[in-house]
Amino acid sequence: MSGTACACQEIECGEIEIDYSLLDKIIRYDYGGNREAMIMMMQAIQRVYRFLPEDAVKYLSQVIEVPLTKIYEVATFYASFSLEPKGKYILSVCTGTACHLRGSGGMVEHISKRMGIAPGKTTSDLKLTLETVNCVGACAVAPVVVIDEKYYPKANIATLNDFMDRLNAE
Amino acid sequence: MKVLNIILNGKAVTAKMGQTILELAREHDVFIPTLCDSPALEAAAMCRLCTVQVIEGKWPKYVTACNFPLRRDAEVVTDSPDVRHGRKLIIELLMARCPTSPELQRLAVDYGCDLERFTPLNDDCVICGLCTRACEAVTGRTLSLAGRGVAIHVDTAFQKASTFCIGCGACVQICPVQKIKMEDVDGERRIILHGKIASRVKLPQCTSCGKYFGPVIDLKQVMERMGEHLIPPPNATVCPECSRRNLAIKLGKRYFEQYGVFEEEGQANAG
Repeated sequence: MSGTACACQEIECGEIEIDYSLLDKIIRYDYGGNREAMIMMMQAIQRVYRFLPEDAVKYLSQVIEVPLTKIYEVATFYASFSLEPKGKYILSVCTGTACHLRGSGGMVEHISKRMGIAPGKTTSDLKLTLETVNCVGACAVAPVVVIDEKYYPKANIATLNDFMDRLNAE
Repeated sequence: MKVLNIILNGKAVTAKMGQTILELAREHDVFIPTLCDSPALEAAAMCRLCTVQVIEGKWPKYVTACNFPLRRDAEVVTDSPDVRHGRKLIIELLMARCPTSPELQRLAVDYGCDLERFTPLNDDCVICGLCTRACEAVTGRTLSLAGRGVAIHVDTAFQKASTFCIGCGACVQICPVQKIKMEDVDGERRIILHGKIASRVKLPQCTSCGKYFGPVIDLKQVMERMGEHLIPPPNATVCPECSRRNLAIKLGKRYFEQYGVFEEEGQANAG
């Protein structure tokens, strides 16, 4: 997966242009076109577009000769796959027991209110996706917020405000 | 092959190695209720109604009869107060999903279910997976079980009308709660799921009488399955009724015209 930059950085709206040569590279060269590697291919496609575009999934189904319904089943089964566009930044707030007790519920509410999105949704400018996760395994430093796979221990409203200020300034 | 000694409801019987409990029970005329079982498809253990008690060695355990292969001598109880108690809960839950199914209603009366216990969902689908498994066996490209856990549901890929459907109607025929509907409207066959069109298949129009008749896009696959892949599928441009009538007219002409007794209209009705 070296040298594959995010293809939809310049795209403002939900219109995604699929680069089929890039898909071919992922499907045929990186994974040899084997249907056994379907999940890995789906993960690679998701890394490029940050979600699974319908056209890309259809192309995958044609190339590896797996029925589209099967891929759809897999994509809806695993929570890590998304069929809807995700934001540039993914902000996950842990709502596990320890984080919940230390007030992660209030943080989710705060972000929801400030950005105007419900948990699991993306802002209309595709900048931020707000997610809640059940546990990230760092209960000792609760409450934990994960922004683009970077962990922020003992997060509070100020941390989040900092982040959202930077986001809005972009 | 090794023969297993099974005690089925207190009666000593023999079973083949790897035989499922459901097969054994049917062999000996023991009734186990099922919703998701079809002899044509692989067992999926989706409805859980066939749960029975098995004692292999020391401890009793509850397993689904349809996909539990017998590998050791065991005792099987298909209808005891304990088994009925568990099954009652399953029926109550299924009834909350789908209160309109006659088969479930019969079972609910039989097991004395409390129908007020769970808030009805009125989803009308029991998630038995028969339609998706039947679809998979025929073409495997239209229906799928999307989602997971409580969110699981039957759906088409991307919730859009499928373009792969051949309009065979296997899903409609196999659905135990008659949830999937099929109708032929305006020259197309529609499979309707959740009141939404799941697929559209264009029906061919008879060149003779102008009526629409069954889809022909599956004929090639049918011929292949029958081992007749060398024979090209019949070029159906005429509906079966017209085809029969045309043949009758042809034969009538050939054999009876010379005697002067053949009249096209009369023969058409008789044929």
